[in-house]
Amino acid sequence: MDVVGLLIFGALAIGIVGAGLAVVFVDRITAAALLMAFTFLCNAGMFLLLGAETIAAFQVLIYVGAITVLILYGVMFTPQGDRPYALFFQKQTPLAGFLVAAVAAPVLALALTFRDPGIAREGGGDLQPLITSIFGDYAVPFELASVLLLAAMVGAIVLVKRDEEDAK
Amino acid sequence: MTAVPLPAFIAVSTLLFFIGAAGVLMKRNAVVILMCVELMLNAANLALVAFSRRYGSVDERGSVFVVFVFVIAAAEVAVGLAIVLSAYRNRPTVDVDELHQLKG
Amino acid sequence: MPDGPLGLDPVVWAVLRLVIAVALAIFVVLNGALVQIYLERKIQALIQDRVGPIHTGPFGLLQTIADALKLIGKEDIRARVTDKWFFLAAPLIVFSPMLASFAVLPFAPGLVGADLDIGLLYLTTLGSMTVLGIVIAGWASNNKYSLIGGLRSAGQLVSYEVPQILSLVTVVLVTGSLSMVAITESQPGLLVNLLVLPLAFVTYLIAALAETNRNPFDLPEAESELVAGFLTEYSGMRWGVFFVAEYGEVTVVSSIMTTLWLGGWHGPGVDALPVLGVLWFTLKTYAIVLAFMWIRATLPRLRIDQLMSFCWKGLIPATLANIVVTAVLLLAFPGTLLPVAVANWAMLGLFLAAIPWAQRRRLAATRRRLRVDVRRAAPETI
Repeated sequence: MDVVGLLIFGALAIGIVGAGLAVVFVDRITAAALLMAFTFLCNAGMFLLLGAETIAAFQVLIYVGAITVLILYGVMFTPQGDRPYALFFQKQTPLAGFLVAAVAAPVLALALTFRDPGIAREGGGDLQPLITSIFGDYAVPFELASVLLLAAMVGAIVLVKRDEEDAK
Repeated sequence: MTAVPLPAFIAVSTLLFFIGAAGVLMKRNAVVILMCVELMLNAANLALVAFSRRYGSVDERGSVFVVFVFVIAAAEVAVGLAIVLSAYRNRPTVDVDELHQLKG
Repeated sequence: MPDGPLGLDPVVWAVLRLVIAVALAIFVVLNGALVQIYLERKIQALIQDRVGPIHTGPFGLLQTIADALKLIGKEDIRARVTDKWFFLAAPLIVFSPMLASFAVLPFAPGLVGADLDIGLLYLTTLGSMTVLGIVIAGWASNNKYSLIGGLRSAGQLVSYEVPQILSLVTVVLVTGSLSMVAITESQPGLLVNLLVLPLAFVTYLIAALAETNRNPFDLPEAESELVAGFLTEYSGMRWGVFFVAEYGEVTVVSSIMTTLWLGGWHGPGVDALPVLGVLWFTLKTYAIVLAFMWIRATLPRLRIDQLMSFCWKGLIPATLANIVVTAVLLLAFPGTLLPVAVANWAMLGLFLAAIPWAQRRRLAATRRRLRVDVRRAAPETI
């Protein structure tokens, strides 16, 4: 059973990191969007491996089911031709890569020094504690989050609405 | 499930986060930048859930935080794409290097 | 890990069990699709006062098999300008979540694939993944009609997910659990949830019709609209996969309705012989499937703007009101479901009366806007 868990983790980790790299380096945007969806799915797998089944379900529902579709809509409605003079701005790419690697290396080293705590916790899913927390201790942030979503929805609609006067 | 050590999860999360950060800095298409931001948010979620489940907090506070991160990510993508589409309607480009009319 | 039969290695048995389960699920889905295609043609024929297939086999029973063989034998055409990998992947992305849904449906006491704590949430999640497949299908066909059809269909699916989920929330409020087995067991005998939550049943039925692209919401794949929407470029067995996926999804949605509102595998004789539960479950599910087909043969198609406005301005307020009223009544009168039932039936009456009332108001507003003199122009509509 240990081996199976490690194998699954390895496969998911390769999936996440590989698809993430592909999103950044692949040329075609639609392929990048679908690889991003694949990253989301592998992330959901990681959540399942950790035993957080409700969060895994939410991850697939929200990220793969909604955000990927939104991004695909965004990709489809903004087609662009070739930009020949874009090469002028390419020189910042290696610098950005070097900076990110320079910051990532110490953080990664720090991450690998964390210890697995020796606390034995009882198993079971995370549905009950999650619900009790959200609707108990964190009810006010929950309501604020719903207000935020309402504001975002109204804002997005207003931003994309065409002016009706021009049509007449 | 104690087979996979916690540092492994955090390492994956770190790698994904910095890949996303590199993407935000390197890419010029605004929609691709939004995608890389989503990658970073996913990395943060993975770290939060890993710590919450492994350190055994009884009330799953890490997972509650993750739920709110889901909410904020969804709202951000919606509004961000609305902005990108509005800008595209103005000038048919989503290249962030060319959307610089407010500069300086 | 349990040891396999005949002393098989546990790991091998686990993999073998998975393979057998998936094969069984595919078998059930394909047979279900065959049965449903035949039923659909016969029922539509009966309602339209004709006979349907009668030549192939007795009562036309082999017609579907003939159709399937014809589909399999067709040439696999793929336009050169389509996006190859996305074009091929789209049917799979639409088919797989439907297949995975069968894992949590309880067919009989003790006969469930996986008694997940989050069974309903799992089903909802899988339902939302089909949207991605449809968008990719529309995009990959590299065809304006397909793209518009795909995006419209995705918009419809995403919009109708909301009342679907909100209806499920009402049932969860009453039952107190997301697990499908627990919901089935909370409805013993005749105390079925339909008596308590009819409005949620009706709203879920309408939302499910839209989620599975069935009439009256089948604008994306209607024959007279936009060629065939996102399915235009798919021919032969690739189209067959979409088709089977649609019928499979109808079965899944009907099974969910059976479990939540009609009592699942409960029925006379189940206590003595648990396997009888499968029979009752199937009968109830197919009763709902027949209702779907009846609706398809009867109602006209809705336009995309009518469908969207019905969802956002009609169904969502109704389901939200349902949740609020149910929750308040459950808290005010704990232990008894009678107030909830009374309030729900009252709201159902209101909902059904509000539809023609809203329609009449909108018609009057349109007439006023166009300044049409109805008495002279169309006296027969008054």
